[in-house]
Amino acid sequence: MTDDTIDEGKLRDLMKEVAALPRTIEPPADSWAKIRAGIESTPARTTRTGFWQRPVFLAAAAVALVAGSSAVTAIAISRGGHNGAPAIVGAAPSHITLPVSDSGPASLAQFTVVESDYLRAVNDLSATLDAEQGSLSPETVAKLRESIKVIDAAILEARNALAADPANRTLIQMLANSYEQKVDLLKRTTEMARG
Amino acid sequence: MSHLRRALLVAISITAIARVGAAQVKVERGLHLDADGSIRLINLVGSVRVTGWERDSVSLRGSLPKGDKLMMGGGPRAMKAFIESTDDRNPQPSTLELMVPARAKVWVKTATADIDVTGISGDLDLYVVGGRIRVSGKPTELNAEAIDGDIEVNGKPIWLRAKSASGNVTFNGSSSDVAISTVSGGITVSSVPADGSGKFERAKIESVTGAIRFNADIEKGAAIDFDTHSGSMEIAIPRKTGVDFDVASIAGSITNDLNYAKVAKGRYGRGSELVMTNATGGARVTIRSFKGPVTLRSAK
Repeated sequence: MTDDTIDEGKLRDLMKEVAALPRTIEPPADSWAKIRAGIESTPARTTRTGFWQRPVFLAAAAVALVAGSSAVTAIAISRGGHNGAPAIVGAAPSHITLPVSDSGPASLAQFTVVESDYLRAVNDLSATLDAEQGSLSPETVAKLRESIKVIDAAILEARNALAADPANRTLIQMLANSYEQKVDLLKRTTEMARG
Repeated sequence: MSHLRRALLVAISITAIARVGAAQVKVERGLHLDADGSIRLINLVGSVRVTGWERDSVSLRGSLPKGDKLMMGGGPRAMKAFIESTDDRNPQPSTLELMVPARAKVWVKTATADIDVTGISGDLDLYVVGGRIRVSGKPTELNAEAIDGDIEVNGKPIWLRAKSASGNVTFNGSSSDVAISTVSGGITVSSVPADGSGKFERAKIESVTGAIRFNADIEKGAAIDFDTHSGSMEIAIPRKTGVDFDVASIAGSITNDLNYAKVAKGRYGRGSELVMTNATGGARVTIRSFKGPVTLRSAK
C-alpha cells in the first residue's frame, strides 16, 4: 500500500485516539521491589580488567592487525603470478564488477570480503597464465611482469593507507580500481596467449 | 679504403635486400562480403593495413615468407583469414593489406604486427600484444587492446574502448562514450572545439602510474571520471564550459588554474580536495588520485 491509498478518515480517528491516551503511566506497584531484589541477589563483579583490555595492549593489537592485514595482502598479491613468471590465463574467471559507490563497501572490513574474491580471481588467472606463457615472447612476459609489479605496488600502497584510514571511501574505490586493473590485465593477456 | 668499404657495404645491402625479396611471396585474394558483413584476420608478425571502401567485396593483398600460406574463407556474411606459418614457434613477418566494405565489422589480432585502419564506419575489434594500433576515421564501435603496444585513434568513434598496459594511448578527436585505461602508459586525449572536433559525454579515463592529459570540451550533462594512482593529471577544458568538479587526492597536490576556486585540505585529514562549479555547471567531472599531482586549467 502506498501513501496515496491512506484513508484520511481512519487516520484522523487514529490521531484522536492517540491524543486521548495518558502522557505517562505508572508501573505496577510491586515492580520496583522486584527489580531491587533481583539486583541485590546478583553477586558483585570484580572491576579488574584483563590485560587484553588495557589501552596499551589494544593499541598494540590494532597495529598488529593493520600490519598483519597488509602482510597477508602483500603475500596474496605477490602470489598473483609474478614471482618467477607472470601467470597467463586459460580459463578466465568471470570478471568482477565492484561498484564501490554509496551502496558498496564502506570500510576496510567490508572491503576484505570483496578483496578475497579479487585475490581468488587473480590466483586462478595467474595459474592458467603460468601454464600458457610459452605462447608469449620473453619480452612480452617481462613487460607483463613489470606491469603487474606496478599494479601490486599501487594496491599495497592503497591498502596500507586504507588500513590506517579504514572508512575512507575514496581509498576503497581506488583500491578496487587497482584490483580491477590487475584482473583485467591478467584476463586480457590470457586471452591473447590463447591465440 | 673508404670507397672500397662503401662499395662493399652497398653490395652487401643489395644482396640482403634481394634475399629478403626472394624469401617473400606475393599473394592476392578477393571474395564477396556483404556491406555489413564480418571479417576476422590474424597475422602475428609484420603488419596489417585495413582500408574501408564502397564495395561489397574484400581484397587481401600482401607478401608472406616463402613457405607460409594465406588461408582465407567464409561466406558473404562472415569470413576469416590467417597466415599458416611453417614455423609456429618463430613466425616470420607478413605484410597484409585488406580492403573491406566500409560498414563491415572487422576483427584483427596480431602479436607484434602493427595494425593501421582507415575509413571504416562499422565496428572494429583490434588486438595486439606488442604491436601498435592506429585508427583513423569514424567507426561506430572501436575496441582496441594492447599489452605493451601503443594505441592511437584519430577521429570520432561513437563508442571507444582502448586498453594498454605499458603502451601509450593517444586519442585525437571525440566520442560520446569512452573508456581508456593503462597501467604505466600515458594517456593523451585532445580535441579542438574550434575545429568542430566534438565534445565528450561519458568517459572513464584511468591509469596506475601513467600520466593523463585531457584537453577537450565536455557536453552539458556529461559524466567524466579520471582515476590514477600516481600518474600526473592535467585536465583542461574551455574556461566557459559548465562543469561541477569533484577532485580528491589522498596524498598528492591539486592545482587549480581554471578559475579562482580554492583547494581545500582533504576531508580525511590529509591530501587535497576541490569541489567547485566552473561557469554555470551542469556536467560532472570526478577526479581521483592517490598521490599523482592534479592540475586543472583552461583548454588551449
